Amino acid sequence: MMARFESAVDKAMPMSSAPGAFEDAHVRVVLDDWERRWYGAPRFTYEFVRSYEEAVCALREHGEGAKALAGGQSLVPLMNLRVLRPSALIDLNGIAAAAPRVEGGRLSLSAMTRYSQVLLSELARCQTPLLTTAIPYVGNVRVRNRGTLGGALAHGQATSELAAVALALGGKILACGPAGVRVIDAEKFFVGHLRTALRPEEVVTGLRLDVAQPCQGWSFKELARRSGAEAVVGVAASVTLSSRRDAIGGIRLGLIGVDDRPVAGNRTVLSSLLGRIPTPAEIDEVAADVSAQTAPASDWQATASYRRRLVRVLVRRALTEALQCAEARASAE
Amino acid sequence: MSDAAPVAILGEQTVVSEPPAPSISGPWVAESPSPSPETRELHGTDTPASAVAPMRVVGQPVAHHDFIEKVKGSILYAADWKLPGMLHGRVVRATVSSARIVSINTEKARALRGVAAVLTSEDVPSNQLIEQSAGGLSELLVAMPILACDRVRFAGEPVALVAAETQQIADDAAELVQVEYEELPGVFDPEAALLPGAALVHDDGNVLTTWHIQRGDVQAAMAAADVVIEGEYRTQHAEHASLETESGVGWIENDVVTLRVSTQIIEHATVIAEILKLPVNKVRLIAAYMGGSFGSKEGMTVEPYLALLVWKTRRPVRMIWSRQESILASTKGHPFIMRYRTGATNDGRIVAQDIDIIGDAGAYPYKSARVLFYGAALSCGPYFTPNVSVRSRAVFTNNVPTSAFRGFGSRQVTLGYESQMDRIAEALAMDKADVRRRNFLHKGDVIPTGETLETAVAVGETLERALARLGEPSAPSGPSKRVGRGFACNMHPYGRTVWFKDSSSAWLSIQADGTLLIRAGVTDVGGGQAASLCQIASEILGVSFERISVYIGDTALTPPAGGTFATRQLYMSGNAVMQAALKLRELVAPVAAEALGCPVAGVVFEDGRVKAAGKSASEGAPEEGISLSELVRLCEARAVDTTTLYVFRPDADRRELNTEPGQLVSFPDYTYGTHAAEVEVDLETGEVVVLKYASSHDVGRAINPLRVEGQMQGGVMQGLGYALMEEIILDEGKIASSLLANYLVPTSDDMPDVMVDIVESGEGKGPLNARGMGEAVIGPVAPTIASAVADAIGFRPTQLPITPERVLALFDTADGTSASGSVSPVPAASRQ
Amino acid sequence: MRRGEGVGRMSLQQVTLQVNGVAHEISVAPDALLLDVLHDQLGFGDVRYGCGEGVCGTCTVLLDGEAVSSCLVYAVQVEFREITTLAGLLGEDESLHPLQETFLRLGGTQCGFCTPGVILTAYSLGQRMPRPTREEIRHELGGSICRCTGYTKIIEAIESYLDDRAFASEETRS
Repeated sequence: MMARFESAVDKAMPMSSAPGAFEDAHVRVVLDDWERRWYGAPRFTYEFVRSYEEAVCALREHGEGAKALAGGQSLVPLMNLRVLRPSALIDLNGIAAAAPRVEGGRLSLSAMTRYSQVLLSELARCQTPLLTTAIPYVGNVRVRNRGTLGGALAHGQATSELAAVALALGGKILACGPAGVRVIDAEKFFVGHLRTALRPEEVVTGLRLDVAQPCQGWSFKELARRSGAEAVVGVAASVTLSSRRDAIGGIRLGLIGVDDRPVAGNRTVLSSLLGRIPTPAEIDEVAADVSAQTAPASDWQATASYRRRLVRVLVRRALTEALQCAEARASAE
Repeated sequence: MSDAAPVAILGEQTVVSEPPAPSISGPWVAESPSPSPETRELHGTDTPASAVAPMRVVGQPVAHHDFIEKVKGSILYAADWKLPGMLHGRVVRATVSSARIVSINTEKARALRGVAAVLTSEDVPSNQLIEQSAGGLSELLVAMPILACDRVRFAGEPVALVAAETQQIADDAAELVQVEYEELPGVFDPEAALLPGAALVHDDGNVLTTWHIQRGDVQAAMAAADVVIEGEYRTQHAEHASLETESGVGWIENDVVTLRVSTQIIEHATVIAEILKLPVNKVRLIAAYMGGSFGSKEGMTVEPYLALLVWKTRRPVRMIWSRQESILASTKGHPFIMRYRTGATNDGRIVAQDIDIIGDAGAYPYKSARVLFYGAALSCGPYFTPNVSVRSRAVFTNNVPTSAFRGFGSRQVTLGYESQMDRIAEALAMDKADVRRRNFLHKGDVIPTGETLETAVAVGETLERALARLGEPSAPSGPSKRVGRGFACNMHPYGRTVWFKDSSSAWLSIQADGTLLIRAGVTDVGGGQAASLCQIASEILGVSFERISVYIGDTALTPPAGGTFATRQLYMSGNAVMQAALKLRELVAPVAAEALGCPVAGVVFEDGRVKAAGKSASEGAPEEGISLSELVRLCEARAVDTTTLYVFRPDADRRELNTEPGQLVSFPDYTYGTHAAEVEVDLETGEVVVLKYASSHDVGRAINPLRVEGQMQGGVMQGLGYALMEEIILDEGKIASSLLANYLVPTSDDMPDVMVDIVESGEGKGPLNARGMGEAVIGPVAPTIASAVADAIGFRPTQLPITPERVLALFDTADGTSASGSVSPVPAASRQ
Repeated sequence: MRRGEGVGRMSLQQVTLQVNGVAHEISVAPDALLLDVLHDQLGFGDVRYGCGEGVCGTCTVLLDGEAVSSCLVYAVQVEFREITTLAGLLGEDESLHPLQETFLRLGGTQCGFCTPGVILTAYSLGQRMPRPTREEIRHELGGSICRCTGYTKIIEAIESYLDDRAFASEETRS
């Protein structure tokens, strides 16, 4: 969860060595800004808004230096460390989050929904159990009490559990900006290191996820070095059986910790599992292929090669569990 | 064979005051003859006496004193203090590891509105601190500046100070201080620092000190041994990560520079005085109750900076180190490189140990010389070792300085000696516990430093208890999981090295209304250092807890007790208070005896009264005896004191340190223990999950079992972090991350309940036969986990922390191929 | 600060903070963290700085009954919300809340620095769930770092409190 602070600095200052230079566990630290990290909070103009439209106006007005403040669990630490110094903070916490609801086969979640609210929602538990399974891995209870879905998506952390789930459940991110409202596919949303497809004055207003079908199973697997710590590698898997229940009809993966952004499991690779119930060996082979497609980096937590090994293991385990889950649900029908 | 450079005397220095050690040339060598196995006498049985006589409050799991304030949240730590006109301080730190300072420009910082002072080395009256932590025994005399002057030796070294009206402004100003550096070659690995031609951290050389311990004839013994096992073990830089960062408030009161800080040692007041070139009576150091320390607050942290800012601005100043600053720049636990050669006979008896230890001292000495001494002295563990050769070196690098960390060198070497014991057992196909039992020390044995063990050695009992706790083996939770069990034994000293002739004093007073006042210079790190004194006094004088107040850690008001380190406080100050209380009883008992009409020996102190023993049955009178307040009144009338000061000096008779073979005494006594664990290893990811954990230590007598258990469980948790997940990663002296998020200490969600077994042998040199145990409890953890992992997977971790990636790498190294994620078979021989 | 009211960069704002049932009207800068306002300005010494990252749990307060990191919230954000610090659990006469009393008795506190955050988090959990399992307690407390106790006695104290509370409510029912 927290190495993104280093990453935020990396974003400002290019890494001083060529990619692929880190095969050992040590990392070359970006030095230009790091000495400022331990100082206190900076100054900014504070604006309190009550709607997404107001937020967009405020962001527009304050220009480049303005940041939207949702749960603050990612943003405020960066500000406390003086890594980010917005000239203006647009507080979105006056925007009431609509309760989760289902429409058109999708679960609709307001951007200002807190993680903890999702866990308390019976609807969410039933309709998107993959989401409620993954959320306990997010940070700690305080992060989940304040952190919002919209805030997490907009931050675009490479290890965001929510992002992995969004990718696995056909997520659609709703955004509101000066040009109006638009819908962005999760697979197109995370474009780079802490960079999303959001335009500068846009805010996330909502998230839509496919609801679980009767013949659909799910699994979330994450390896973190400690409870609540940032994922080293994480996998969200969704497996749907065909209408005859004798084959995999649909399969999706969301992967975190495997690149500088959350990524979807490669569709072509996964498609080789369609049309039958694959054997464990086949699943493992696909997992190996998925892993080969990823480009993880080495950092203080883990080397790239270890991450790739983990991807294979966790993808295999997640697919296996999701398939078993789908079969169990299908037979329980 | 001396590796140490000749001692150099530097001008304008401040010497940390220590009792002067005898002058000695060359590296210190302790030599003792090797006793032949036949002459080694076993003094009776070391199984502990079960009878520690029950007492009224001692031995009870009572919760009182500061703990009440802590659950209320009302206790005042160092930063919970505000004075009118208080400024906020910030240390400006170097961003390079090795450099010459070309210039420091403070103009912009000074010009910022709200800034009260910006100080550099020129503003420090005496800018050199010389730590003679080993008593001047052939160690380099190296000066550490309070603020770097012309040279920077580690990233994070203080170069300037700021005080301003708000913390924000102070931090803004700190950013405006412009320092120009000319980077110099640095050395970041202690082994590299030992090579000829290595960059010099200090002009006189990179070796701070070398310790040697020799006993018997290691060469001959190794040659004659049936089996010789060699191993190399490595530990990491560890961060204390106390919840309370380094902090405090300073002000001037009655012309005295007064600092109220989170510190283990108030005796630093004399050093502050020297830095400011003030007489010592013009400095006062008050120790607030600490929010944890574990050795991080043993050296000065905020003290000199607060003192300087207060002294310059003449205003109160608060300084709180940020968490990231603390992780970056506060002293760390030493990484050790340990090379062991252990020789044993076919029946599992250790005949020789040849040990080489290198510790990374970082850029400045702090306590490194002593830490490496502890490492050397404890490097053979709780086992009888007739032939020993140990070399232990503290080596400078341009890394963050290392110093005290719970366990203090003894923590690191447990991985060495316990891994070796396991491997001897494996080589001889013997039961690992049997090999321990065959070699355990006994009371009366002479240990490698030449001294005789004077108290019971109940390590065997702790071994039985810890192993028994594991119960039935757990089944693996899946096909790619393996379960393993391991254990480790340790010994750890309590009390300072005796040649420092340690002492502690306490003042006790029975007040007019029968309440008790204790004044003792102890500092409280959170382990009940202060509360224990109340418990002892309550026991001896029969006064209830609510009617006892203890005032601690104030150079102006409390009699000196020495700092809280070396697990010395219960032993030293506990004894001081106990003796003071006994002495007070002696003073007032005759007056009581006269009033009660009984012999002096029959006077009993209980329930806030004095009574005549045996006359407890009420005979019409509603209460027996007289109240303490009545006794005080009677004492006043007879001009008998109801206050007393006691100075506890246990080592006054001890021999001076010398090199006569077999004549050395290093520590007053030791605490022994065993931990055992069951772990599950995921063969595909390398994750290690601790399923069960048991800890057992002989504490002599548990003054407060609740606190003893708490220390054991806390020490285990800190040890588990150290064993499995904690690591300060440095690259060219720069820390990979200074975020707490990235320094992984265990949470409640990571580890199981820790089962504890207190053994009470009834022997110990602390008050009422207690032994100090605050540090002993962390030692066995890492080797316990290493042993359990080795049992699970057949390969032994030799480097800490045992991360999932390192576990997988053990498989890779073993079969020479990069593991494809398939399950590797476990060699049969390793499964016991 | 409300939109359209025009706010300068440095100006202070009047806010009312409800802490432990008492309203406090104060002037704060918009960039003042709730942690600093509570500790330094309002004198709530039981809310302390631990890391500034939201990781350690030292600065935990309850916001409308939910545990939050006060180092990650600006004071201006929480006007009129119910803020509870550890002191807020004490009885009228400063008597200990049963949870505090259990912590004291069972050794759930050593250096005490994590204690306010730990007890508040446990209290909040207990308000939400009548009897969480030991695993649920461990997970909820996972964001409160303790460096001294090793957690075992903390978990035992929380379980003991919950059991006593369940027993007491059974008694009142019967």
